[in-house]
Amino acid sequence: MTDPRDDGDGADPPPESVPADAEPAGDARVGAGQPPSDDPPRASESTAADTDDRPVAESVETPGEPRTLDQRVRVEWIVGPLFGALLTAAVAGFITWAVAAEYLPYDRTTSAVAVGGGLFVLFAVYGVVRAVFLYRSWRYVVREESLYLTRGVLTRVQTVVPYVRVQHIDTRRSAFERVLGLSTLVVYTAGSRGADVTVPGLTPDTAEDLQSRLERLAIASEDEDAV
Amino acid sequence: MSDDDSTENDPKRDAAEGAESAGPTSATPRIEGPQKLDVLTIPYQIAQQGVSIAIAIFVFGGGSASALFGSGRSLLAIGALVAVLAGIAAFVGYFVARYRRFEYELTADTFDIRSGVLSRRTREIPLRRIQNVDISQNVVQRALGVAEVGLETAGGGGTEAQLRYVSVDDAEALQSELSRLSRVAKAGEGETAATDEERFETVFSITERELGILALISVDLRIASFLFFGASVFAPSAASMAQPDNWWEYGFGLDSLVGAFLGPLAALGAIALLALVSGVLNAARYYGFTLDRGEEELRYERGLLQKFRGTIPLSKVQTLTLEENVLARALGYAALTIETAGYTPTGGQSNGSQSAIPVAERDRVVSLARSLEAFEDDALERPPKRARLRYGFRYAIGLAIIVALLYVGTAVTDFRLYWYVPLVAAPLVPVAAHYKWNNRGYALGEDHVVTRNGFWVRRQKVVPYHRVQTVFSSQTVFQRRRDLATVTVDTAGSQSLTGQDAKAVDIDSETAERIREAVSDELYGALARRRRQGRDRSGPAGVGVSDAGGPGSPGGESGSPGD
Repeated sequence: MTDPRDDGDGADPPPESVPADAEPAGDARVGAGQPPSDDPPRASESTAADTDDRPVAESVETPGEPRTLDQRVRVEWIVGPLFGALLTAAVAGFITWAVAAEYLPYDRTTSAVAVGGGLFVLFAVYGVVRAVFLYRSWRYVVREESLYLTRGVLTRVQTVVPYVRVQHIDTRRSAFERVLGLSTLVVYTAGSRGADVTVPGLTPDTAEDLQSRLERLAIASEDEDAV
Repeated sequence: MSDDDSTENDPKRDAAEGAESAGPTSATPRIEGPQKLDVLTIPYQIAQQGVSIAIAIFVFGGGSASALFGSGRSLLAIGALVAVLAGIAAFVGYFVARYRRFEYELTADTFDIRSGVLSRRTREIPLRRIQNVDISQNVVQRALGVAEVGLETAGGGGTEAQLRYVSVDDAEALQSELSRLSRVAKAGEGETAATDEERFETVFSITERELGILALISVDLRIASFLFFGASVFAPSAASMAQPDNWWEYGFGLDSLVGAFLGPLAALGAIALLALVSGVLNAARYYGFTLDRGEEELRYERGLLQKFRGTIPLSKVQTLTLEENVLARALGYAALTIETAGYTPTGGQSNGSQSAIPVAERDRVVSLARSLEAFEDDALERPPKRARLRYGFRYAIGLAIIVALLYVGTAVTDFRLYWYVPLVAAPLVPVAAHYKWNNRGYALGEDHVVTRNGFWVRRQKVVPYHRVQTVFSSQTVFQRRRDLATVTVDTAGSQSLTGQDAKAVDIDSETAERIREAVSDELYGALARRRRQGRDRSGPAGVGVSDAGGPGSPGGESGSPGD
């Protein structure tokens, strides 16, 4: 929690232990993802158990470190609801100005601005608080046999996705995410909630690295009669 | 044409058969070459579509047609007539073309469909991916002797392949051929010995008594109780609205008596009617239900007017659900649902492929279920007692809110509601809480996770570990207050699409964490066990078989690094 940024940076140090793994193609892609690492040097991870400077969870061989999302995801989560709040406030303000003000003892414009502004502040505060807490609650762990996610403000949800059940993995970036330099990873299973396994707020590098790593893990543990 | 195709298939077939012990012809589909639909499809579909178009024209275009013909402008009328005739010709032509373009073919390992008039489509469905094969016939189709065949796979957003329509004989031949080929393919992988014809024994056929019980218990009691409750609360105001004078000023006269009893009586009538309708519908739906069991699959048949026949491959079973509602429990009956990964949009209503047994004595159902999946039928672990307290609070708060709303409604509006009537239910709160708690439970068995929920409709779900897709636990704010959590086990079963996953609700949060991890660990254990078993079974069957397993299924050997 002290410095969640290291998550993004964590993707960058070359995982020298990985090439020992079977797949040259996958490694080549990971390698290709390395060069454009112009991020500041990685700060110390509060939960890092290893004395080694190399981020532990980057290696397939030593999984298990909880990782946080990129800080910028808070911007994404705050700005989205802000638009909604703005819209709601405008509509409410207009209604007040046009209709409800007749019944209020105050000036038309004043009451409209008060209602709109009040609503906006209310929604905005809610959005900000929610984004902050949601960001704090988010962790994902690439474990030995499964991907583990935990998140949620009011309802906390922990999801375990065994690699053997992974059908395919997407990364996607909305326009706003591209502006922020973020990426979202979606893991599909044959189960109904497959689309629910979504990891937002990753840097593109992390997302790509995670995608290829999960792909490798999924292939390694492939099951013959999936469905 | 067909000769051409069969020679084309030969090399593939030889490769598949080469090492097999099952003889040279076993993997050859006995339905050779491309097949067409039944010719009656054309008139049937024309009639089907034509009727709806005719209705649309009658509703929307009737006026303009009469105006056209009545106007005396004969040239225009003739032009319109020609246009209509051309339209009809195009309409008929389209269906003829569609019929001529539609072709299906069974090869040694795929089922191919070529179809489409303007945009053409070719589909190849690998036989081993087919979940179940259903045949359905409505009354008209039965009179014509045609049937619709549906092939379900796990992918996609609908039934993967629909043959509309083939003759009944063709449908049955196709169904049995598909299951025979999948058996042969399995034998090739060494999972079972190939038997040419599968022996079926009837494991269940519904009796008239059971049909009657089905009609009785299929009444949804929740609707009934809501109706009853709502009627007793709102009836007085309804009665007063019918009679705008202040009728209560006359004291408890005849009118007020009628008013007081009208609601409940009407509700009772509605309940009786609902019961009758749903009962008759269900009885018709499951009339003549029989379930046959073979080595590799279940076959069922049912329906009075609309007939359904289907297969459920045992190797594709995702979950079993034992379902009993209050009435069924009281009478000692239960139903069994078998889920595969096939797509079922209506949740088993029109698609019977899931319903294995509509109703039977509980013991029979349990023993059949255990013969499919050998789960332990021990007592389940209940949630901790503080969960019961939670339900008590929840119901009490719910009741208070209802009363408050009704009171506000009475105070603000002119409706005269008996807002205090729901208070009668107050003593029921602890009882309801107890039963809700009492019916919940979970168990982690050797090969299965079992969960049970629901008082009105109690569902016991059995999920084999090797069918688990994802596991998740969740805690709402209220659950966190009492240190409780819910664990959900997601499968690829079709019912989980509608949110009916196996859930262990309101268990201790530490236990929940333990179960979540245990289930995902057990998944790997179960998969490894199954792989070992598969290898053991293929071992003694002979050297040739394991050779055939190599090229045929890369997963067989190269999948082993996982364990």
